Parts: sequence; structure tokens; C-alpha cells
Amino acid sequence: MTSFIIRRLLISVLLLFIISVISFFIITLTPGSPYPWGELNPKVSPEVKRVFREKFHLDRPLTEQYTLIMRDLFSGRLRSIKDERPVLEKIGERLPATLVLNLGALALSLSFGLMLGVYGARHAGRLPDVVTSVLAFTFIALPGFWISYLMAIVLVNWAAVPILGTHTIGVDFTNGLEVFLDGWWHIMLPASILAIGGIAVQSRFIRASMIDTLREDYIRTARAKGLDENAVFYRHALRNSIRPLLTGVGMLLPTLISGSVIIESIFAYPGMGRLGYEAVLERDYPTLVALNFVTAALVLGGNLLADLLYAVVDPRVRLE
Amino acid sequence: MPRVRTLIVGIPLVLAAVTAVALWVVLRASADKKNEMFIGSIAEPATLNPIQAADSASSSVLGVIFNGLLKYDADLHVAGDLAERWTLSQRSTFFFATPENAMQAAANMETSLLDREKLHLRQYRVENNRLVLELSLPGTADSLALAKLFGAAQPQPVATLSIVAPKELGDVLSEFSSLTPSARIVRTWAIGNLGEIVFLGDSKVVQQHLQEFLTEKFGAEGLVVESVAAPTFLAEPEVTFHLREGVQWHDGTPFTARDVKFTYDAIMDDRVASPRKSDYELVLSVETPDDHTVRVVYRRPFSPALESWMMSILPAHLLAHTPPDQWPLTFNRAPVGTGPFKFSEWKTNQFVRVVRNEDYFRGRPHLDGIVFRVLPDPLTLRLAFETRQVDFWTADPWAVGSFKMDPRFSVFTSPSNSYNYIGWNLRRPMFQDLRVRQALAHAVNVEQMIRYVLYGYGTQSTGIFTPDMWFFNPHVRPLPFNPEKARELLDEAGWNLGPDGIRVKNGERFAFTLITNNGNAVRSDIATLVQADLKAVGIEVKVEMYEWAVFLKNFITKGEFDAMVLGWALGQGFDQFQIWHSSQTGPEQLNTVGYKNAKVDRLLEAVREEFDRKKIISLCGELQQRIYDDQPYLFLFVPEGTSVMWKDAFRVRRPGPDGQWIDEPVTMTKAGWSYYLEWFYRPEYAKGAAQP
Repeated sequence: MTSFIIRRLLISVLLLFIISVISFFIITLTPGSPYPWGELNPKVSPEVKRVFREKFHLDRPLTEQYTLIMRDLFSGRLRSIKDERPVLEKIGERLPATLVLNLGALALSLSFGLMLGVYGARHAGRLPDVVTSVLAFTFIALPGFWISYLMAIVLVNWAAVPILGTHTIGVDFTNGLEVFLDGWWHIMLPASILAIGGIAVQSRFIRASMIDTLREDYIRTARAKGLDENAVFYRHALRNSIRPLLTGVGMLLPTLISGSVIIESIFAYPGMGRLGYEAVLERDYPTLVALNFVTAALVLGGNLLADLLYAVVDPRVRLE
Repeated sequence: MPRVRTLIVGIPLVLAAVTAVALWVVLRASADKKNEMFIGSIAEPATLNPIQAADSASSSVLGVIFNGLLKYDADLHVAGDLAERWTLSQRSTFFFATPENAMQAAANMETSLLDREKLHLRQYRVENNRLVLELSLPGTADSLALAKLFGAAQPQPVATLSIVAPKELGDVLSEFSSLTPSARIVRTWAIGNLGEIVFLGDSKVVQQHLQEFLTEKFGAEGLVVESVAAPTFLAEPEVTFHLREGVQWHDGTPFTARDVKFTYDAIMDDRVASPRKSDYELVLSVETPDDHTVRVVYRRPFSPALESWMMSILPAHLLAHTPPDQWPLTFNRAPVGTGPFKFSEWKTNQFVRVVRNEDYFRGRPHLDGIVFRVLPDPLTLRLAFETRQVDFWTADPWAVGSFKMDPRFSVFTSPSNSYNYIGWNLRRPMFQDLRVRQALAHAVNVEQMIRYVLYGYGTQSTGIFTPDMWFFNPHVRPLPFNPEKARELLDEAGWNLGPDGIRVKNGERFAFTLITNNGNAVRSDIATLVQADLKAVGIEVKVEMYEWAVFLKNFITKGEFDAMVLGWALGQGFDQFQIWHSSQTGPEQLNTVGYKNAKVDRLLEAVREEFDRKKIISLCGELQQRIYDDQPYLFLFVPEGTSVMWKDAFRVRRPGPDGQWIDEPVTMTKAGWSYYLEWFYRPEYAKGAAQP
């Protein structure tokens, strides 16, 4: 177990280095420049451009730029080209909002996915199962932005509910509960859009896994013992079918941190997705490199955690 | 196993129930509107430091927090803001071989000078071998006219060299001038690694000396010494600003001339990397004789420089003692200005809120505050406007019609300071014939283009200026759509119809590639319509689209294209030297089509040195006509910008010219609907608004 963790950590460090190199060169070799003014701006003289390039080391060779960026990243001094604020501060500012939103989405997709999957397995082949299956496949197929727009139009135009941002702007709530519920509402909308795909996929996994498990010999044994059908279903079969949930968590980890550009934009939600997207458009190299690095580190760590959890939940898994 | 079952059903149900309660709470609470204005914008401000910001989201916020020395008034005339008034003058210095010559020239001028007023001569004096003229209007024309009266005693011409050094110049130039007295250096100037010397004598010799001297100091790499086209006498224009008294910064500190001087120094500081630095590169010195006077002396006449003092002024007392690399962490996120609204809070990626400045020098604004919301998605931005979460919306052309017909909305439409064009690469032989370019202009149906692409919200462009500019020439007639005429002109130019319906000259088919950037629907629509129109007169057009960065890098800045669709978004200034002067046709320069016309060059140079309003209008008028006649671009159209507002949301109550209050609906001025922003009020809060 310990050797497994150490080996994985070493591989992760190597991987992080490779990721940082690749991401830096992909970004800097893309055409375009990080000038904050337009490229065709008669007011900006070559002298101004020179000063700007020198200030952000853009006049140095790429390899030197890379080492400078990594040095500043590790010493915490790395500044964004766009507004010259420390990059880690910019990421730290958005990380909580992104985490809350995606944890909400995770909670929704796990809980609703489990409920619908179990429901489908329980009524396999009958009408309720057919209905949930059709719905699940429909939601897997529909693009998230389309559902978001639809939802925004319905909620905003018909009910005039504020849905943008992290809280209602221009209203002073008096007590803490109201502030909490206001925040809850603003998170639940984008979270449910993010969760729709997850719910559909999770429910399919769990349903299939349950149906498989119910065909196992030990289930027949349990039934032959004369156990109550509910006990067979919820105690014996369910426990053994829960593994897809963990796989699902593993798959959702990257998005948990990196965020979603489209959903965040539509709901004006201040998350990491928009930070990255805007940094790409502005060719804000330091922000992009740092963002990729932090995301990659968190994802690698998350994957390691998921693998360890497997071993805890499923005694058949051995980590060597 | 009822416990597991309850959990499986229970958790989702609880989540749903809490959400339902939250919805109810939010719905109930969001009915009341506060006495604030909500403005939505797609982008977030980059920084709230006016000398570093270059994006429009930042400038709209900065506009209510800061003031410049000057501003545009409602009719786009230059008016005082932090400066109560300002005066222009110039000192012209002529150098003579001997003091006697100088005396002689002054005497000759005195005797033949008929009208001092007309030549703006205030006074003159002889200092040693110099004759110094004090003029009440900057520029070179008056001084040259006066120099004609000097008679036999002719002044010695001065020459100017500009220097870009690899490192800071410091005192190196004065060292050079003390070492080489034979060069008779009359003025040196250096800031950072930029420098300039003005001297009497042979410019070739001095240039060589200086080059050698500086190479020894700094090495040859990155060193540029070149001669500058400047007047042959020392022409030093001067602007004196008399500052408004009693203005306070938002923290209560008085505003003084020191702040102005500090702002200039900060812009010139390389650690700040201000994109506005080029506006001030001709400044010789900024002096503050007292707390409410600022005197700016320029190295030579440059009339667009005056408008650079619309730049927001920074508070010296907050910034002078912190190094610029600390500003982004503190001041740039929480600025302090002199404007009608004070900065209150900035929630990243969500909103910037400003609140009323009770002590604003023009009076207390009516609104409690303004919230600039960041709503990155165009569709939800529109939804937010329709549900009154934001009060204004910039409408796309296709949507304007439905808002115009709806009585609940006020629609403000005005021509923008931008135009779209097709640039013909004049380095390509096929576009070098003027008749061909005229034929192309006659062949393209611009009116139809405005109708289909802009839904009618635009006017045909007649050249390099747009109709709202004060120096626009309304007498330039657009070339009308006339395919018959186009065919005639092409025949005349030797392009005859070939067997496949495409014109041919000397075995070459008239076929070219029209490029533009993708992601801009207007430009790709233009390309498509042009393709069809030109096909009708026998010209084959291939349309290609590239990602913006690739489009610029691989084609435009290299000058390697046949023709391109682009647009210019212009400021209010008349200086278009960078876009049209023949010296600006190199790679990465902005005369991308390679247009060269000696007469136009002279006009561009002259207008930069002209301070007289009437003369600027006449120079610009000629400039616009000449360039339009040459058709280096096919000038297409000036689109109109449209803002929509809920009609009942705001009214304006502002101080009138005679001290009475004017109460009126929000109206469009030349400077936009938001010109009187500090006097906007919500009718439901009318009681709180100031009374006469």
C-alpha cells in the first residue's frame, strides 16, 4: 500500500512536469499576443510594445520564459499579464465558488442517479423502467447549454426570478438563513444543469450493475433461504452494485475543479472555467500555465484518492 | 431494509425541497428596486487604474470614478473638467550667427510687421544670438511667416536627432553636449531610454559623433539614432492649465497640481508599462508653478496632444510612495478618484459597485450608486435587461426593430466612430490602376449591404472620418452603385471579358482572394455580398476566413493579401498619420494596404501641427476628399450603435446654464446617452433627488 502510494506520487511529479512543459509551449506557440490593447491600435507606439514585452519577459527565448514562469509559480510571485495580480490569488478567489458549484452538481447526480437507477432496476422491463430509460437517454443526448437557455428563458421571463451570479444583487437579506437560501438557489440552477448528464449516466450504470448482480448465484441463494425480497434487493444486491458510483466520482473529479465555461458564462457564475477561457482569449500565459498546473495536480491527487477508496470499499481490489 | 430505502429516496427529496423553499425566498425578496443603476457588460474590467486600463469595460467604470483635466462636452467639443480653463501659447526661438544679426532680424521684422494679431505675435525679445518670439497660438505657420520678415539676417537652421537607447539614458546626453561644444547643442531631452537633441550645425557629422559616443556607452545593439522631421527653429508649444479649486479626492485630500505632475510621471515610468505613453512622448516638461497651475511644454507642435489631457488624474498622495508593482494588489482593485461616484466593492467576475460621492465638485449625484455587472453571455444579458436586472442593453441590429415598436422602451441610436471597409493591397499590380478601384466601388451595392447586413442601421461611408466628428467633410459624395459604369471603367483599363465570363488582361484573369477573420458575422456577410456583386461585372472573388490572430500575423501585418474586409474603430481625434502616411507601410505598421500619396503625406503632417480649429477643418476636409478620390479602400459603411433603456427607469435632472434645474427624459447627446450619468434619477426616488 505505502509503496503503491509512493510510486504513484513519483509518477505524478513526472507527469506534472510534462504537463507544464506541454501546456506552456502549446499556449505560447499559438498565434496571437497578450497585448491588452488591440493589435491594430494607432495609439500604441513600438516603444510602448517594447516596454510591455520587457516587463513580462516576452522578449526572452521561450525556454527562458518557461523557467521564469515556473520559478515564479513555485515562489508564489507569478503575476497575470492581464491585471498583474498574483496568479495564485486569482485562482484562489474562484476555487471556492467552483468547488461549491461542482460539489452541488456531484451531490445531485449521485443522489438522483442512485434513486433512479435503483428504481429502474427494481422495475426492470416494466413501464416505469422504460420511461426512466427513455428520459435518461434523452438527457444524455441533449446539450447542456440548450437546456440552460431554455431554463433561463422560462424562469426569468415567466417568473422573473434572478438566476445570475452567486446571489441576488440589489437586495439586502436580513437574516443568515435567507442569505444561505439565496446562495443555495443560485448554486442549484447551474448545478442541476451540470448534473443532468451525470444523473442520466449514473442511473444507467447503477441499473445495469444491479440487474447483473441480481442474476448472481448468491442472490439466488439468498432468495432460496426465504429472505424478504426487499432485504435481498437493498442489503445483498445494492451493496455489491455501488461501485459504479465511485467510478462516476472519479470521472467527475476533473470537472469538479476545472469548471465549465459554457454553464458558468450563461449563469454569470464566477468559476475557474471562465478564468481559463478568458486567459486563453487574452493569451495570459502565466495564468494559463498556473491554472493548468493546479488543475492537473488536483486531478492527479483526486485520481489517487479514488483508487485508494476502491480498495477500501471493495475488498477484492488489492493495491500493489 | 427500510433505512437504506428511505435514504435513497429521502436525500433527493430533501435537496429538491430546500431548493423550492430557496426559490420562494428569492422570489419574495427581489421585488423592490433600490436607488441604483445596473449596467451589464459582457467583459469584466481588467484593472481600475486609468493609466493601465485599455479595455472598454474598465473605461466605463473609470469614467464615473475619475476626472481628466479636460473632457468632451455633450457636443464633443473640448471642455474643462478638473481644469477650469486653459491657455495655449508657443515660444519660437531662432538662432543667428551673431547677436548683431539677431538684433537686425528683430528690427527688420518690427518695421515690416503690419498685423501682430493675425500672426498671433504677443511679444519678442533678443537674447544673445537668439530671437525669441512669444506667440498666442502654437504651430509652425505663423513663425515661418514672421521669419520671412527677418530680411537679410537669416537664422541658422536647427536639426533634431532622436535616440532610442538599450538602457536608461540618464545624463548621458548633457555629457555629450558638454563634450562637443562645436555641435552647438541647443536642447537635450531624455526620459527613460528615449532621448532627443536639437543642435545647430551639420546633422550628418553630429549624428556620427553621437552614434559613436553612445555605442561606447551602451553597445551597438538596440541603439537607434535617427534624424527627425522637425521645424528648422526651436518651436516649443505650451499649454497652461488653471485647475479648479476646492476639488477633493474621495478620501478628502485636496486635489492639486502635484497630482497632475505625478500622473504624467507615472505614465512615463517603464515599470508601469502604460499603453498611453505614446500620447506624451513629445512632452518636454511638466511644471507646477503653484498648487493650481500646470504648465506643459512640448518639444514641437503636435495638436492631437491637447486631447491626451482627458486622461484621468491619479492621486499622488496614495501612489507616490508605493512602487508601481504594488498598485495591482491595492489601488488597481480599489481606486480613489475625484469623480461623481466612489469605488465601493469589486466581486471578481460578478460586479463592481460604486456609490455616490456626496462632495462631488459639480454637485451631489442623485443615484445612490451604480452596479456594473459582468454578464458574459449575450443571451442572458438580454434576459437580464428584459427582466430589469440591468437597465441598459446594447442592441444588435436585428433586434432594434422590435424594441423600437415597443412603447415601454427608449431606443438611442447614433452613428459610431467606426467604419467597415475593403482594403485593396496596392502592392498588387491589379489594384494599382485607379480606374479599377473606382470600378470596384461602383460595382458593389453598399445600400443593399446596409439593408441586409445592418438591417438599415448604418450610413454609407465617405472616407476616413465618420459623420459625428467635428472635422468631418459632408461634401464628399459617395461613388454610387452603377455596374454599367464599373464595366466601362474595367474595359477602359484593359480588362476585357474572357471566354469564361471573367475579365482578362495580358493573359491574367481578374481573380483574387478576399480574406477576413472568422467569428464576425458582419464581415463574412460583407465578403459574401461583394463576391456576388463583383461576379456580375466579371471579377472572380475567392473568400477565405482565418482565426483573428492568424489573420493578422500571417496576412495583414506582413502585407501579404490581395484584399481584406476589416473595420476601424476610431477615437475622436483627427490624427490618422499611422494609418495613411507613406512612412507607415512596413510590416506591423498600420498602413496595411501600402497607400502612398505625397500630397496626403503633407496634409497628414500639417494637420498634426495645426492648432487653429478652422484650419484643422479645412485640412481634414481636403484629406478626406483626397483619400476618398484615391479609393485605397472601398469605404463601405458607418454602423449605428443602439442602446435600449426601459422608458420609465430614469429621468435626468441637471443644473442648467443659468443656475436653474432642467428636468428631462434621458436623451441622446453626441457624447452618448450616459453623458449626464451623475444627474440620472429613478422617478420612484424623485424626492431624494436634489432640488434647485
